[in-house]
Amino acid sequence: MPVVEARNLTRLFPMAAGPVAALRDVSLRVDSGEYVAVSGPSGCGKSTLLHLVGVVDQPTSGEILFEGRDVAALPEAERSRIRLVRIGFIFQRFFLLPMLTARENIELPQAEARVPAADRRARTRQLLDYVGLADRADHLPSQLSGGEMQRVAIARALANRPALLVADEPTGELDEQTGEHIADLFDRVHADGTAILVVTHNPLLAARAERRLIMKSGSLVS
Amino acid sequence: MTSLWLAWRTTTRYRVRAALAVIGVAVIGALLFDMLLLSRGLLDSFADLLRSGGFDVRVVANDGVPFARLPIPESRRLADDLRALPEVREVVLIRVARGAVRVDGGTPVDITLVGTSETSGSGWTVVAGDHLPSAAAATDRCPIVISRPLAAALDASPGALVHVTVQPEGIRSALPPVTCRVRGVVNFAFASANEHAAATTMAALREAFGLTRATDADLVLVASRPEAGSRAAVRAIERARPDLHAYSNEDVVAQFNQNGFAYFRQISFVLSSLTMSFAFLLVATLLTVSVNQRLGEIAALRALGIGRTRIATLLLWESALLVGGGALLALPLGGLLALGLDRLLRQMPGLPERLHFFVFQWRAVALHAALFAVTAAAAAAYPVWLATRLPIAATLRREVVD
Repeated sequence: MPVVEARNLTRLFPMAAGPVAALRDVSLRVDSGEYVAVSGPSGCGKSTLLHLVGVVDQPTSGEILFEGRDVAALPEAERSRIRLVRIGFIFQRFFLLPMLTARENIELPQAEARVPAADRRARTRQLLDYVGLADRADHLPSQLSGGEMQRVAIARALANRPALLVADEPTGELDEQTGEHIADLFDRVHADGTAILVVTHNPLLAARAERRLIMKSGSLVS
Repeated sequence: MTSLWLAWRTTTRYRVRAALAVIGVAVIGALLFDMLLLSRGLLDSFADLLRSGGFDVRVVANDGVPFARLPIPESRRLADDLRALPEVREVVLIRVARGAVRVDGGTPVDITLVGTSETSGSGWTVVAGDHLPSAAAATDRCPIVISRPLAAALDASPGALVHVTVQPEGIRSALPPVTCRVRGVVNFAFASANEHAAATTMAALREAFGLTRATDADLVLVASRPEAGSRAAVRAIERARPDLHAYSNEDVVAQFNQNGFAYFRQISFVLSSLTMSFAFLLVATLLTVSVNQRLGEIAALRALGIGRTRIATLLLWESALLVGGGALLALPLGGLLALGLDRLLRQMPGLPERLHFFVFQWRAVALHAALFAVTAAAAAAYPVWLATRLPIAATLRREVVD
């Protein structure tokens, strides 16, 4: 069963010189537990596709079915709820809250999902172990390396046990070796049954996916 | 992980900036608090002063604010008639004259001389010596109590003999001075800080100074019976003597509010409005800058599923913390400022020493809190709109490009 199915997506951005088509008639499907990577040159529409699939943007035309529901028809509160409990988002720039510790950053989405405090703490401990940062739980992001911050971000994305993990250039700000560690973590997440859709320039990361898609000029070419 | 807790962590992330904002709001808030105190302070202080003597009705012969007086004919009989009214507990006759006083070998000092039929001092407090004696206990022809400034000017103390000359209004007089014995040095309720004032009995005014129509009072003070109240006493007096004008303390305060106090209210309103505007601009600017610095962070939170309501509540709490902290600090700051300003303003000549411009009222504290609550909400309005309406995908994209 598909976790997410995008059909005939087009996304136009209005510009002074006329609308720009970031996506043209793109269809995509990610099944439960599947690991999909999307690659392509800068400006080809990869991130736009990810944002649509991740329910943070709306297509100009086409439909997106998330676990069978047409997300375009849902009110923002419902879409927000889907992002909170069914999708985990990982950003190129990590976007950890700088005034919260690693532990608190991971607890935040659980608190928003009204997970009881004791359960939150237990789940957070488990995730910190999972990403290998149990000893850095009380460190602020400013006290972590880039790789460590991204691992905390991955733990945060997994906090509410999402059906789909979406990652936008997760190794974009990391060196090669650290990127490899992140790629290893993604393998582990995939092995545990979470579907992953990753957008990446990194060929080594893309090579880890079950299925690789190439985008060019707003369309999927393979 | 409440929104308040998150807001606290966000606000204290930049401690110096938060401290400066709180101090800024506190300084503005101190001025606002003082304006709120001033808006009713003088009025409340004046009302307290009127009440302090224990009399709640004033009877005069002329209309208007009962301070400029015409003599009331046959005041002694009027006092007897008023005492007979069931609504009235006590009646005191007051006569005010200009005079001069000197000690042996000394220079005359101009004074305000008050004749009163009430000797136990409801209109003054004794600093040294004693009150005026009652008629039955009087041994001197002219017992007198004098104000502290007058005692200092004459270098006189209780027991001293002084020579008083009365200058009745509208009358050319060559009355000889009368020797009076100082019974006490007092603080008069309605005297200004440096006023040279003295009080003696109505009998002394009549006998010692040989004033024609000396029994005529300028002002009759009436204390109503508690069960009747001042309004009932006023109506009873007006029925008994429709030729006179009776005013309750509330009537006097209301006239003062309308005629004399409007200036302070307008000043207070203008300055209060300005201070609120400054507080709003300060906090709104700070929050807007803070949100603009955190757009990527906020977009990421929205992408993670943190709802608009939570984001809005977070920003409202941030505003509340900055404004609330400043507003709290403003109270002691404003209190200190009010003490200083009150001391300055009370130096105006002619003001009763016991009158204050800034009087603490819980109402002012409540209004201060309410105004700042509104300011906090209003200051957060645009930042909240900015944060909850930002396009998530476009913001994330822009953050990466930047």
